[in-house]
Amino acid sequence: MNKTILTLLVAATLWGYGDGKMYWAPHGCDEGKVTASKHGGHGMGENTSLHAMNLEGNSSVTLITPDLSTENLTLINNTLILPKASIGGYYALVLNHRSDNQVDSAIRYVSQQGRPSKVSPTKLTALPKTDLEIVPDPLHREHDRYTASKSYRFLLHFQGKPLANTPVTLETRNTPTQTYTTDSTGAFSITLPNDFKNVQVGKRENKPSEFLLIAQHNDTNLLYKSSLTMPYSLNPNDFWQSQTYGAGAIFIGFLGGLFLYRRTKIQGVKRG
Amino acid sequence: MDKFLTLTALRRVVQLTAFLFFVYGATIFTTFYTGDKLTQNLPALSCAYDQSGGDLCALIPLQHQMDHRVSTIFTQGEKVLPALMGTLITIATVAGLILILNKAFCGWLCPLGFFQETITMIGTKLGLTQLGSLSHETVTKIRPIKWFIFLFLVLIFPLLTGIGFLGHEWGSPFCSICPSRIMTTAMTGDMSQVYISQANWGYFALSLIADLLFGLMLALALFVRQPFCRICPILPMQTLFKKIGLLRLVKNGDSHCDTCSSCVKACPMDIFEIQKHAVNENITHSDCTLCGRCVEFCPHDGVMNFKYGPFTILTSSKESFKKRTKIDKWWKA
Repeated sequence: MNKTILTLLVAATLWGYGDGKMYWAPHGCDEGKVTASKHGGHGMGENTSLHAMNLEGNSSVTLITPDLSTENLTLINNTLILPKASIGGYYALVLNHRSDNQVDSAIRYVSQQGRPSKVSPTKLTALPKTDLEIVPDPLHREHDRYTASKSYRFLLHFQGKPLANTPVTLETRNTPTQTYTTDSTGAFSITLPNDFKNVQVGKRENKPSEFLLIAQHNDTNLLYKSSLTMPYSLNPNDFWQSQTYGAGAIFIGFLGGLFLYRRTKIQGVKRG
Repeated sequence: MDKFLTLTALRRVVQLTAFLFFVYGATIFTTFYTGDKLTQNLPALSCAYDQSGGDLCALIPLQHQMDHRVSTIFTQGEKVLPALMGTLITIATVAGLILILNKAFCGWLCPLGFFQETITMIGTKLGLTQLGSLSHETVTKIRPIKWFIFLFLVLIFPLLTGIGFLGHEWGSPFCSICPSRIMTTAMTGDMSQVYISQANWGYFALSLIADLLFGLMLALALFVRQPFCRICPILPMQTLFKKIGLLRLVKNGDSHCDTCSSCVKACPMDIFEIQKHAVNENITHSDCTLCGRCVEFCPHDGVMNFKYGPFTILTSSKESFKKRTKIDKWWKA
């Protein structure tokens, strides 16, 4: 009975997120992710085992390395374990699936440690990877992560060109789907929701969540669908960091400086 | 127009340009990504937390290397050379940059240095009484603080964190208290670095010190020259290589130096040693920022010199002293 209730609760929690859409998700992330992220927390704990969700039939998986070389990988039970990285930086993981009337694609960027690449990450994001593509503009920076309550800009490209006035949906686990529309340059900005639950004090005590961006476009009787998934972390300023107290401390420091000024001035007068 | 043909005026133009580059440079010259920044090891406080900046300070990689790489010698039995490789690259890059510009990174390029000087200019224009020079006693007391910060907050605490003796908050403790982090991010409209953390006592203490220090620096800069520079750990790091710097301050003093103290009064870091008698000697002090004010305000021909390699690029003279003093009076009026 308890198991049934638990299953129903889990199903209810996950219901809706990425339903029926092809996307990348970290595989068996929970415990390992927390452990990995406890040390450093500078993108070193990124999961290298990923699952292709809602994938049916054969698909091609391409790994684009930070120096822009490509490698074809194979999924085993829709799961992929990334090979050990020799070059540090961003890797783009691209999944393509084509049927008679539909072209699906999913992209995820994974940050890995290694010797520095001499190629700018701007070239990796700018490189066309799929027909319809959601391009981070820019990606979160090295040693950083996407963070809740912050805004990020993306571009929507179709066959390498900006796609204007097209809806893009943002899905997270705990917030209803939000829809954004691209502007005339194919750009749109999202604000990641502060929707973390059971938050513990300390950044490394809380595992990242996932956000999913989905776009679709019809062209020459073909429906193109593309997704981008990335992890995002909670924002300490929403929980255990107070900006009001911070501003107050700056003010107290400033008053301390003015007090020193006054004291110096009085001493100067006394000295004559 | 003649008022603007001085070394200080030239320095202000360079400082403003550098400020724009180091705070907003990623939008035009470099990119948003760390790997694309200009040197990634700048011997000046250009903060990595400012994601629009054109470069980042050498102290952040140094702290990270102590925490994550050098510590592996003790924790994982890593070989010394691979564990130190990153640190050696950082040190070599800093040495190369010091060779080119020596300590002028502080006086000419540092965004926080320019920010403090701007606040001092505002204080002067507001009519606040300026504290001309700090006493020898005060200067002598303050000087060791920067070495303490460099040794403990930049090197030792991050290393102990990596080994496991200290909590993660001590992994980059200097960045946690650095006023440049708050200033540069605020300059780009990002106020997220102004906070008090309640995560644990370590985070709380560091965030409190950071905010108090920033407020204190703001107020002090209104009437004291370069308040934070006096304790900045960039100075000790530069000092390690100052002997190889091509740009340097050379003194060829005469008997007037014993009684005249114009150079000391002009020095924003109150380096009283520059008054001492010296014959054709490199007097670039650990605290010197190579701002050149001592050369401008020296009333004696050929005594204070700015040299680059074998070339003299600026020398003191009676004539330029008179002009500079006149401009100074006009500015303070």
